[in-house]
Amino acid sequence: MSSNDPLKLIEQYLERVRVYLPLDSEDAIVELQTHLIEEAERIGNGTMTAGSAMMAIERMGEPKSVANEYAGSGEKVGPVPAEYANPIARIAIVLVGIATALIIGLTMLGIPLTQLLGADIQNWPVSIPIIIFLNIFIIVAIVGIISLFDREKPLTDKTTLESIFGLGVEGFKPKGKLDALGDLIMGVFWGLVLMIPGVVVLYTTEFAEIYMLVVVWLFLGAVRGALFYIGGENNFNLAVEGILSAVWISFAIVLLNIGWPIRYVYAYTNGSWGYFDLVGFFEANDIPFIPFDWIWAFIMFITVVIAVWRIFVSVMKITMYLRAGKGIWWQGNWGKRRSLRTPLWKRMLGEHDQFQQKEQTVRHDGYTEPDESQ
Amino acid sequence: MSLTKKTQDELDRWSKEVKRGAVTLAILALLSKRKAYGYEAVKLLDKKMSFLALEQGTVYPLLRRLEKRELLTAEWDYNDPTKPKKYYTVTQEGLKALEAMTQTWNVLSREMRGVVMEVEN
Repeated sequence: MSSNDPLKLIEQYLERVRVYLPLDSEDAIVELQTHLIEEAERIGNGTMTAGSAMMAIERMGEPKSVANEYAGSGEKVGPVPAEYANPIARIAIVLVGIATALIIGLTMLGIPLTQLLGADIQNWPVSIPIIIFLNIFIIVAIVGIISLFDREKPLTDKTTLESIFGLGVEGFKPKGKLDALGDLIMGVFWGLVLMIPGVVVLYTTEFAEIYMLVVVWLFLGAVRGALFYIGGENNFNLAVEGILSAVWISFAIVLLNIGWPIRYVYAYTNGSWGYFDLVGFFEANDIPFIPFDWIWAFIMFITVVIAVWRIFVSVMKITMYLRAGKGIWWQGNWGKRRSLRTPLWKRMLGEHDQFQQKEQTVRHDGYTEPDESQ
Repeated sequence: MSLTKKTQDELDRWSKEVKRGAVTLAILALLSKRKAYGYEAVKLLDKKMSFLALEQGTVYPLLRRLEKRELLTAEWDYNDPTKPKKYYTVTQEGLKALEAMTQTWNVLSREMRGVVMEVEN
């Protein structure tokens, strides 16, 4: 739904433009953002209002064409129109990436793909072109129907199709600066926790022999977080992320085999702290189903899926940046775009948004009235 | 003088071709005097080159292309975090290209003026 906040309108519009742009187009987006704000201020005689922002947006035009004109939204690929080539390719890559990650994760757990799908493909290979044709037909029909609902939408509202394409954009967003800081802090924290002697005694015998490898991996993860925090997304950091993810997958195979890593937890009984044997509890009470290895397998599955996805994205982005002539290290972007708005903590302290406070009209007689956005 | 549709179409087509050739020279010439960011360049060109009737949709891609071809260089200014500005300046290579283009343009306009004046007379 359309907002009355001029900055929100511009952000919404730029989100639509972003859908049609190649992945490394953050500069183009920021340039457009500055253009729209300045144009809106000019139209509003120095004050940006919802009306002036909307006029600036309308002057700029349809997001699809803007993306095509400004940064080149891509080239026509087969029957796919040029402006749709990027979003379709991106969503296809996301789907392939997710499928690859899931298949590798499931294979590690020993679940074959045919079992997962429920049946083998019949009448192979003749069935393949028929399946592709039917799917294309269904996709075209779906796109046609959902486009009918978007005819009357304003320029700042994403169409249904763009919302679907937007999933691809989200999947490839660079790591946020705060996320990177979180990786750094959590890596160090959990690395240290795993080494505390009082924690080490809780491990199973098998895990106790290899836990230092996990600690080293966590510290390396913290280094990766620090690198992303300092340098944003660049080829060096992406390569580090890809390598660490690959290392994790090989660790995961070992960890999956040794099973649930914690034998004991601390329990306060009879006025003192002692060890509580987790598996022993199930055995002593004749509980037939011991869930720990299943929980462990599920955790490993999730981490492997994430690791495969990270390798996939790293390889894709490194290739993309190399093609664009970028080197190994540069000051890259972070996930969150520079926000147009005053941060929440500043607003709570009473520091107003520099644009919001302009959203009123002062009459010559000193009477102040809210703008049309209120 | 009212133009027929066919003449108008022809004029439009010809204008488009002339503009296409002139716009690179115009941008390099303007930016050789002072650096400017995208919006500023659009407004400068709009003010100084009304014939070209350049819109943002033409200027930005051209700035990008010239930057890619190393005739322009760009630098971000984040002083105002809500409106980061990408400032474009002409490189040494760009200045050389500008000089060569200006010479060619001068020859072309001098000769064109001669030819057109013969027609007018």
